[in-house]
Amino acid sequence: MALLKLAVRNLLRNRKRTVITLVALVVGVSAMIATRAFINGFRGMIIENQTRGVLGELQVHHVGYVANVQSSPLTIDMVDSPEVRAKIAAVPGVGVVSPRIDFGAQLSTPDRTPPHEDGSELPEADRGTSTFMMVTAFEPALEKQVTPRRWDWIGAGRGTMSEAGDSTSLVLNDDFARALKLELLPAGAALPPVERQAALITGDREQALNGENVVIGGTFASVTANDRRIGFLPLALAQRLLRMEGRVTEYGLTLEPGADLEQVKAGLQAALGPEYEVHTWAERIPFLTDLVETQTKIFNIVSTIVLLVVLLGIVNAMLMSVLERVREIGTMLAVGMRRSQITRMFLMEGAVLGVVGGVLGIAVGLLLVLVMSQAGIELPAPGAKVASVIHPTVEPFFVVRTLAQAVIGSALAAILPARRAAALRPVEALAHT
Amino acid sequence: MRTALICTLLLSTQALAGAPTVDDILKKYDAIMGPTVFEAENEMTSTREDGTTRTYVMKMLKKDSDKFRIYFTGPAAVKGQEILRIGDNAWVYLPNLKRATRIANRESFQGGDFNNADVLRVNYQADYSGTLIDSDVPDTWCVQLKAKNAETSYDAITLYVRKSDLLPVKGKYFGTSGKLIRSAEFTDVKELSKGFVRPVKVVMHNELVPARKSEMVVREMKLDVEVPAQRFTQTDLGK
Repeated sequence: MALLKLAVRNLLRNRKRTVITLVALVVGVSAMIATRAFINGFRGMIIENQTRGVLGELQVHHVGYVANVQSSPLTIDMVDSPEVRAKIAAVPGVGVVSPRIDFGAQLSTPDRTPPHEDGSELPEADRGTSTFMMVTAFEPALEKQVTPRRWDWIGAGRGTMSEAGDSTSLVLNDDFARALKLELLPAGAALPPVERQAALITGDREQALNGENVVIGGTFASVTANDRRIGFLPLALAQRLLRMEGRVTEYGLTLEPGADLEQVKAGLQAALGPEYEVHTWAERIPFLTDLVETQTKIFNIVSTIVLLVVLLGIVNAMLMSVLERVREIGTMLAVGMRRSQITRMFLMEGAVLGVVGGVLGIAVGLLLVLVMSQAGIELPAPGAKVASVIHPTVEPFFVVRTLAQAVIGSALAAILPARRAAALRPVEALAHT
Repeated sequence: MRTALICTLLLSTQALAGAPTVDDILKKYDAIMGPTVFEAENEMTSTREDGTTRTYVMKMLKKDSDKFRIYFTGPAAVKGQEILRIGDNAWVYLPNLKRATRIANRESFQGGDFNNADVLRVNYQADYSGTLIDSDVPDTWCVQLKAKNAETSYDAITLYVRKSDLLPVKGKYFGTSGKLIRSAEFTDVKELSKGFVRPVKVVMHNELVPARKSEMVVREMKLDVEVPAQRFTQTDLGK
């Protein structure tokens, strides 16, 4: 206890130096906390966009579907019936069940003018085109409850997604629709004549060519750079186009509040049997794990460097302190103070710096996190129209770990100066000018 | 003068040795694989990733080198579908929509491994320029073709033809990035009509999904036909 008092007093003797050292510690520690919180928030944002905008919390497929997902296989599909949906919904912890079909199709756009009477070619600007796109088909009323973020994006676009059962309305990425010069059909307006409508053309489940007329009922604003050639279609229309009445390729599910993801997954697998496969959202976005791992690695390297620089500052300050106090140390040794006590005294000074700087740094860092998370950081992804908002958060374990790093690091930084002080010979030290 | 003479002699010896020009090869290819006017009956069998196959039956009409019409007659799911090509434009007519919609050259033909241009747009003389290169297949000439415009079926083709009669043997087809995307074998040489001899079977392998392939077999082909111009108009589709 006496040692602590002595250490504090010694630190207060040269306030300017102590304050500068502390400021360095505070800046370093608070930056570590804030950066970590930002990375956490970024990860949270991606998860939110994926689970509440694309995937749902859990997905059910026919076994083998996810392994072949790149080719959107229509033959690895499932019977969709009220009984199947009820069976899935009956598993404890399952919330809403939304049936879906994912497929690729050609979007063939209509000519902008009627054909010439003499059969000659239209000018190129007036000709329709045919473009490949990916379509996700679902029942809007159900899907809205599983991926409400989709409707935020549609809300940021134009028009809406019709919930009418017989709707032939396709919702496209807004930039994509503009690039194809497709006009929106206003809500409630009568359908234009078929030759003025677009069509989706694709191979059906048996890969025989089929097509359906569509109108563009709405658009959604781009969220990421790779959602350009994407559209949403009512499930019934997709089933007709793909000749898959009563069949789907995917069920997207929500969890009931408080339900455990892995437990519900196991429950679903047990209830549905080996014909089906169940995946959590995390298993459907392996890129997220890679992304977070890379970010964490970079973060660890940077924070180690920051901490090292700060600690080198402490080494320097303590060395200065030792040099200034040579005669004093000599006196202490001369009156019988042990070398180990001298060492401990300097280590204590380092530790006190670490505790004060660490605690202050964490306070400043948490304040920063609080401000950032309440305001939210709008982060427009490259090419995205809708900004995604990051709400930084930091986990308690990380705060404790950072504090420990600051305290132990500061004490360790004092080792070299402390050993130097302890190694002084009393006579020479007393003679030091 | 003497040098010139020797050169001329040398050149003519080479000509005698039989190396054809690229033009000769492309001209022959177009003449047998896409004659200017014909009426044909074809069958295409596509093998999918899962090993299942499906056979499509179609009737083809061609006129004026850039007008093409196809009627699908089977299986039931595609019966009544038609395709029309006029110049750079192509449409598919779907009976359930009762109208024609535009299709693009590089889209898959009936979900198989040929693309639309492979079937509708055989005019290598107009679409590709090439050079003769050393062949790695015995008894063949090999030409390296580069697309002249964006409407072609591929960006580059390596075509092998028999030395004896310039009939195609095999082809390698490359996409935009220079990646090999398809390869074809031309087999079953037959006389389809008097004096008209060609491989009647083309097997197109999908190099991106190796389990997939499509075989196009010409059952019948007549060159001396008179096809009314009306058949090659949009308004005639579905009639």
